[in-house]
Amino acid sequence: MRSNPFGKQFAASALALAVSLGAHAVTDEDILNDHNTVDDIVSYGMGVQGQRFSPMDALNTDNVRYLQPAWAFSFGGEKQRGQESQPLIKDGVMYVTASYSRAYAIDARTGEEIWQYDARLPDGIMPCCDVVNRGGALYDDLFIFGTLDAKLVALNKDTGKVVWIKKVADYQAGYSMTAAPLIVKGKLITGVSGGEFGIVGKVEARDPNTGDLLWMRPTVEGHMGYVYKDGKEIENGISGGEAGKTWPGDMWKTGGAATWLGGTYDPDTDSLFFGTGNPAPWNSHLRPGDNLFSSSRVAIDPDDGSIKWHFQTTPNDGWDYDGVNELISFDYEENGKTVKAAATADRNGFFYVLNRENGDFIRGFPFVDKITWAKGLNEDGSPIYNTENGRPGNPANADGEKGETVVAFPAFLGGKNWMPMAYSQDTGLFYVPSNEWSMDIWNEPVSYKKGAAYLGAGFTIKPANDEFIGVLRAVDPKTGEEVWRYNNPAPLWGGVLATAGNLVFTGTPEGYLKAFDAKTGEELYKFNTGTGVVGTPVTWEMDGDQYVSISTGWGGAVPLWGGEVARVVKDFNQGGTVWTFKLPSDRVAAN
Amino acid sequence: MKSAFYALMLVLLLVGISQVQAQQSRSLIPDRTLDIVQDSGYLNVGMYKDFPPYSYEVNGEVRGVDADLGRRIAEGLGVEFRPYWIIPDESLGDDLRNHIWKGHYLAKTRIADIMMRVPYDSTFKYMRDSTGEMINEQVVFFGPYQQERWQIAFDKSRLDGVETVAVFQYHPIGVEIDTLPATYLTSAFGGRLRNQVHHYGNVGEAFQAMEQEEVAGVMGMRAEIEHQLAAHTGNGFTKAGNGFPGMTKQVWDLGLAVRHTHRALGYAIAAIVDGMVRSGEMAELYANHGLSYSRPGYYDEILGPDKNGE
Repeated sequence: MRSNPFGKQFAASALALAVSLGAHAVTDEDILNDHNTVDDIVSYGMGVQGQRFSPMDALNTDNVRYLQPAWAFSFGGEKQRGQESQPLIKDGVMYVTASYSRAYAIDARTGEEIWQYDARLPDGIMPCCDVVNRGGALYDDLFIFGTLDAKLVALNKDTGKVVWIKKVADYQAGYSMTAAPLIVKGKLITGVSGGEFGIVGKVEARDPNTGDLLWMRPTVEGHMGYVYKDGKEIENGISGGEAGKTWPGDMWKTGGAATWLGGTYDPDTDSLFFGTGNPAPWNSHLRPGDNLFSSSRVAIDPDDGSIKWHFQTTPNDGWDYDGVNELISFDYEENGKTVKAAATADRNGFFYVLNRENGDFIRGFPFVDKITWAKGLNEDGSPIYNTENGRPGNPANADGEKGETVVAFPAFLGGKNWMPMAYSQDTGLFYVPSNEWSMDIWNEPVSYKKGAAYLGAGFTIKPANDEFIGVLRAVDPKTGEEVWRYNNPAPLWGGVLATAGNLVFTGTPEGYLKAFDAKTGEELYKFNTGTGVVGTPVTWEMDGDQYVSISTGWGGAVPLWGGEVARVVKDFNQGGTVWTFKLPSDRVAAN
Repeated sequence: MKSAFYALMLVLLLVGISQVQAQQSRSLIPDRTLDIVQDSGYLNVGMYKDFPPYSYEVNGEVRGVDADLGRRIAEGLGVEFRPYWIIPDESLGDDLRNHIWKGHYLAKTRIADIMMRVPYDSTFKYMRDSTGEMINEQVVFFGPYQQERWQIAFDKSRLDGVETVAVFQYHPIGVEIDTLPATYLTSAFGGRLRNQVHHYGNVGEAFQAMEQEEVAGVMGMRAEIEHQLAAHTGNGFTKAGNGFPGMTKQVWDLGLAVRHTHRALGYAIAAIVDGMVRSGEMAELYANHGLSYSRPGYYDEILGPDKNGE
């Protein structure tokens, strides 16, 4: 800029204006520090490791009863359905996504809308499991999120104007995008949704400023990964080395393993951790073998997308136990040594503690009351299958008769589904939102698909108990002990937050935001938001006060797939509101 | 989730959703009874999208046997034929829910008046879920108009013939992914054909692969196979005459469906379709498309055995 007084003055006032509007860029440092800073939330997981632990203790077990609503913001529109988003906060602005691929910026002090962006979705989208979105990413001056038609949209975070839109995959082939993107080392990291038959999961890194690909890593053995330099695609090795090692025939070409829940990042080991979905086809008898890397956790090098290690929770999955659930890094002391671990609560009902440096199995244990598909875990963490009526039969052997019904615990919706758990650095416990349900699976010889005879399985989900389905559990990763539990009548489907105030927050389909004592499980607070809660709570500090926010709006997979669970949830009303609560400053020291 | 595991699983959906549905007094889908259809002057004919030779578009022109039958039905009712494209979901139950009796939750007011190519199968019609509820009580199945069957085509330059499917222990065969041929060929005979099975997005792609000599045969529905053979003439591809041992459903009838509250529309259309089957017009319609025609098994008891049957 030339040095004329007017220019300087203008620049200074523009800067002042920008500062007053809070238009600061979000940096890599901000993101890596997210778990330590209390005045912003600039990553999904409140830190790239995904612990969802806040060091704030102004709000605590003594004063949480004074938590009160500050404002509520309606997403509007006629369409509501499931609101599974986690809000982000930066410079007094909340950035949150909603169902039907909508995004909003909201003044975090008043609840007033700053901008709204509605993705234009094509008529033909066929999402399997509701029209949810789990959140966006902030980087530089961009807010970036994925849409149901498998595109990435980057908006100017201050104006909501589109900066770029990139197609990630073909929605007509069954691809979609519902997870929050991850920013690591200046790269935008995403997976894909779409368990439709025939897709292949992948993890991709892009330039956040342009959306251009930097690398791509398929999550099914046999597919080539690539890095991109100067517009050129360069081969970077086949996932798993070669095709056909753990898949028969050409089934690896359509192996599934969608990375639909996104991933976490561990700076200590410089690894991305992505979970992968179930293998295809659904009938496990057609694909003998482990079917790598389906139903697994995969550690990926953020620089070029190479796979460092993998851990498969359900080899040759025959129950639809996706392996997408988040892998959360945490350290613990044992025999005077720090163990660099990572934990995940799998769909299959087992909780796994892994060495995050190499993927070695440290220990695993059931975190649900009953598991029937496996009798336990081997030394290496692989399942000891229940060979007596544990695996659903092959409908091709059904001879036109309805096959024997196999009852499997947990149901395919999992001991834990998508909803993120939290880890408290204070208590050393994981807080796991889980569900107790089973499924009946039988061969269905009389079935049709697209005008043709077909063979498949029928199934129905059943609650395991009359009184409750959902269980919020405090789990000790060192011992497998269930330290406490809270039983909820309806299935739990929302995420969890833990704080240094000895609190654990989560929402329920009955409409409540609830807070529990992190050590004892005592319920200390509840507020009914008027619709089922399947979002994930966050907490932050603004103007010296501690705030809690959560998206509310009943939906997700349960009302679509819940089988006999329907009787429990059929009267829950839909909605679409972000609720924000604060602790009044005169209550901080209240006793 | 979202896996094809959910295929065929309408049990749960109908237990789940229809109970919820019963609670909802406000249905958003337009109630197009026979009178309303005739007053409106058009008929929304539900057909699977991109599904040659049954229903597809070429340069904006709607083609296929199902489309032509839809045109004849609309003509018979004295209204305009309007194609309503259906993207198939994971099972017939899903398609009926999304396009006939409830509407898809993303497009609650978009609904077809009738749906073509709906299997006509009394076992399926009266199926009950685990609680004893009828899973299809929201839908009326009517108007069987064709019988479909499985068929293999093969490349004569690579195989002398296909006496039995056993040759595909030694030669690659193409199938559409997530179909009965895919399941059959990868599981029959203890999986001995499994490694020779190549999966494609549709039968057309499998034929392209046969042109590229990736596979020596293709298995699909007879009409699809005949349509592709016509499109690939001069390549030395031909129909096989083998059986399918251990195949549970070798033939099945296809008809139409309407919402259970629109029975009168169904009756009027059933009369049109029945007339076409009995008069031979239906067989002619198929012949015009270069396709074999098998009369629905439904008519065997009424008219005696199908003389043109295989």
